[in-house]
Amino acid sequence: MFISLQLLHMSVFSQSFSPCGRFLAAGNNYGEIAVFSLSAALSPDASEASQKPILNFTAHDGPVFSLLSTDTHLLSAGNGEISAWSWAELIKKVRISCSVNDNSLIVGGGDNNIHIMDMETGIFKSVLKGHTDYIHCLCFKEREEEILSGGEDGAVRIWDARTNRPVHCIEVFKYEECARPQFGKWISCLATDSDWMLCGGGPSLSLWHLRSMSPTSVFPLPGCQREAVFYQDLIMSVGEGPHVSHCLHGGTVKAQIPCTPSSLNTLALNLKNSEHRVMTVGGSSHQIDVFTNFSYRAFSLSF
Amino acid sequence: MSSDAVKKRKPKVVRNEAGTPETKRSRAEGDQEVRVYNEEVELEDRDPQQDYMLYKDTCADLAKLMAEIQELKSSGAKVGSVEIEERHRQCSVHFITLKKLNRLAHMRLKKGRDQTHEAKQRVDVLHLQLQNLLYEVMHLQKEISKCLEFKSQHEEIELVSEEEFFQEAPAEISRPHVTRDDNHQLTLARLDWELEQRKRLAEQYKMSLARKEKIQKAIEQKREYLSSLQPGLQNIMQASLPVQEYLSMPFEQMQKQAEVARHLPPPLYVLLVQAAAYGQACDKTLSVNISGDVDEAKALSRRPEDSQEDESDSDAEEEQQNTKRRRATVGVQLEDKRKAMLRRHPLSLCVDLKCKDGSVLHLFFYYLMNLNILTVKTKVSTATDLSGAVSAGELLNSESLLNCLYASDHGKETPNPANRYQFDKVGITTFADYVSDLGHPYVWVQKLGGLQFSSDGAQSELRGSALSASHMEKTMKLLRGRLQARLALHKQFSSLEHSIIPVSSECQHLFPAKVVSGLTRWTMMSYQEFTELGFVQHVLKAGLVCETDLFFMAVVERGTARLLAAVVLNPRYPEVMPLFSLSLHWKGERSGRTEDNLRAMESEVNVFRAELQGPRPGLQLLTNQIQRLCVCLDVYLETESQVCDGSEGPREFPREKMCLRTARGPSRLKPFKYNHPQGFFSHR
Repeated sequence: MFISLQLLHMSVFSQSFSPCGRFLAAGNNYGEIAVFSLSAALSPDASEASQKPILNFTAHDGPVFSLLSTDTHLLSAGNGEISAWSWAELIKKVRISCSVNDNSLIVGGGDNNIHIMDMETGIFKSVLKGHTDYIHCLCFKEREEEILSGGEDGAVRIWDARTNRPVHCIEVFKYEECARPQFGKWISCLATDSDWMLCGGGPSLSLWHLRSMSPTSVFPLPGCQREAVFYQDLIMSVGEGPHVSHCLHGGTVKAQIPCTPSSLNTLALNLKNSEHRVMTVGGSSHQIDVFTNFSYRAFSLSF
Repeated sequence: MSSDAVKKRKPKVVRNEAGTPETKRSRAEGDQEVRVYNEEVELEDRDPQQDYMLYKDTCADLAKLMAEIQELKSSGAKVGSVEIEERHRQCSVHFITLKKLNRLAHMRLKKGRDQTHEAKQRVDVLHLQLQNLLYEVMHLQKEISKCLEFKSQHEEIELVSEEEFFQEAPAEISRPHVTRDDNHQLTLARLDWELEQRKRLAEQYKMSLARKEKIQKAIEQKREYLSSLQPGLQNIMQASLPVQEYLSMPFEQMQKQAEVARHLPPPLYVLLVQAAAYGQACDKTLSVNISGDVDEAKALSRRPEDSQEDESDSDAEEEQQNTKRRRATVGVQLEDKRKAMLRRHPLSLCVDLKCKDGSVLHLFFYYLMNLNILTVKTKVSTATDLSGAVSAGELLNSESLLNCLYASDHGKETPNPANRYQFDKVGITTFADYVSDLGHPYVWVQKLGGLQFSSDGAQSELRGSALSASHMEKTMKLLRGRLQARLALHKQFSSLEHSIIPVSSECQHLFPAKVVSGLTRWTMMSYQEFTELGFVQHVLKAGLVCETDLFFMAVVERGTARLLAAVVLNPRYPEVMPLFSLSLHWKGERSGRTEDNLRAMESEVNVFRAELQGPRPGLQLLTNQIQRLCVCLDVYLETESQVCDGSEGPREFPREKMCLRTARGPSRLKPFKYNHPQGFFSHR
């Protein structure tokens, strides 16, 4: 099999499923976004061609670190700019960029601040300052309308979305059970599930109870975790190392499923569409692994 | 009784003892009154049947009488008795009758014989006459037929047709009034006319001969005159040679070349013409020569088809004969057939490409007659002596110098699909065995000679000269580029082996002023050794490597850190970028597969061709890549803040590089990109 030099050195940094759940968008280190058709790839008569993108375009100069899907649009974040693409157009294999929505977009930036932007008008509404180093990850607690942010400075800050004021600040590296000084103090992944929060990065991946603001379990995963999600009663995380880790709330690592890329950057679950309920992971390879049954890898999509 | 006996003699000689001479004479006079006893006459009267019955009766009587005598004698009668005497007398009479009968019988026999004889004689005479007549008839018939077959000589002469004759011949010969009726006369007249004509023509012939002789003599004279001019012309030509050189119009040379070129096989001729044309028009440094044995070529071209057929026939015959005689030489036979199949044309072309620095690429083109393909052998002669670079041994190796001039053109197999069948006949399995001897049959060589085979991917409509012309410029450029690249690499390698990375002044801006990591080793590897390395498997799996590539190992060191880089150099460098695979030995072993930052370093070195290739023609690529590798290692080591044993001690590599940010993105990549002229490092 002959793959070009470009593909050899490609890494996938971000993924996002379409609102209908039938398409997957993935962003790589060259600034390209590829749209894959899940329905074609999952159908019984899928061939090699259906594992290739139906659309591949250059979105940014630098790597596409973050992709986010709204009801109608795909937002991609590159070096200093955010672009919005209409899913309807992308599905039709045409790309134009426009941004129309009536929600707000919360953007964590490299300038150590969190910006909240009004998607309809495109104007930044407010800025949340507090971090001393750039922000790696954000997540949103809908019930209490709180924003959680994790950054390079090792702190997880919790903000109130309505008042835009910091509520809490957890410095994870100060907790002995989580800290791993040989890696550093940065927090690269955050996930929240009502009362629970997952955070990891330099320190080990740990599960926190938000009411008590204390870690309840620490997961003994060897590498630095880059993305973690709650799924039913499992916690799935990816990071350094070519596997997806399935963990239980109690702190045990239930399984480590091997994958193609040698380290993984992004994990996404397609929960919007019950027909195409898959988990996809991408990392330092041009291939994106697709898991139909979360216990093993089914096939790989390729850029 | 005696007188009867006498008279029984021949009638002609009738002796009459008792008679007088007078009686004799009288008989002779034919005196009919004397009764002559003529038994012959009597014979005619008597009936032989009756005589026979008489004879039987007489015999019976005799027997009876004898019996009676016997009876009487036995009954005791006397000897002289009357009955016996009677019977004696009767017996005697019977005896006489018998004698007469006997005579008559003899006479009859004789008479019959005489008659037969006479008849026979008559028949013989007639028969003889018949024979004579028949013989004569035959003779006459033969004569007649001979006469009929006789062809007189006059019929062999072709005469003009009758109409022509009557038209042309003058009246006294043709005499139409006579000849129209009489065929014989006509023929005679015609013959006369023929004779006349022939005499006239003979006269003319003699005159023409005489004229011809005269003209012949005149020609001879003129020829001698011309040949006397020849030495003079030669002198003039010799004298003009220096003038030609001075004016750089080498007519003499070109004429000679054109003369020899007539004997070139077609593909070589096309190549010669196109290369010479290209050299004249576009590239003054290109020159073409013909070398080889012209006489052999002439011999070949004299009987091109015959010689081939003869060879195959005589081969077949020889083979048959030989297998009958000595079976042990089948192997030798096969070898000879192979040699015959792989025969080269005695003439070859030599194309020289000169480069600015004085080195020359010599290309020798050969044509394999039976296989109908062209092959090429190369030689490089350099202005300066190239030595000292151990790893550069393979670079200018004439076997592999022209490998993959166009992508995947390895020159190991013959591009002519028909050769497959020819090889099967003589048991050649791969052409690759003979390549080092015969030269490489690259596809571009075939195209330059105007040979196009159906196995080529792109079916172009061009043939012959057009095909050659369309590829000439590109191929020459590629050849020159290849030579220059290899020579540049040679020089670079010799300084790499001395641990100096030669970075030219035009490329200094790509790198910071101070680079601490240094190249400590640069060696060549074989394909085998390369595939055994653990950290290159991803490249092998990706199909980016093949056996014809060149493999090197570079070792970059700084302090305790040792970076091993396995380099894959494609023969088409610098069109194809060299591929680096990294493995770092520092506090453990890491490779691009296990660590994202090393992977980022690999991509930094492998992917950004436009930045690294430097000024055209991009011969700085490899050295720039190695320099960039050193710079990246510096950045890596200096930004590596972790200390594995947990303690915060003095760092081995103090931070000297200016970086905006040491980690970015989920994989926390280091800032490998150098910005000029500000001199800081950032992420891409």
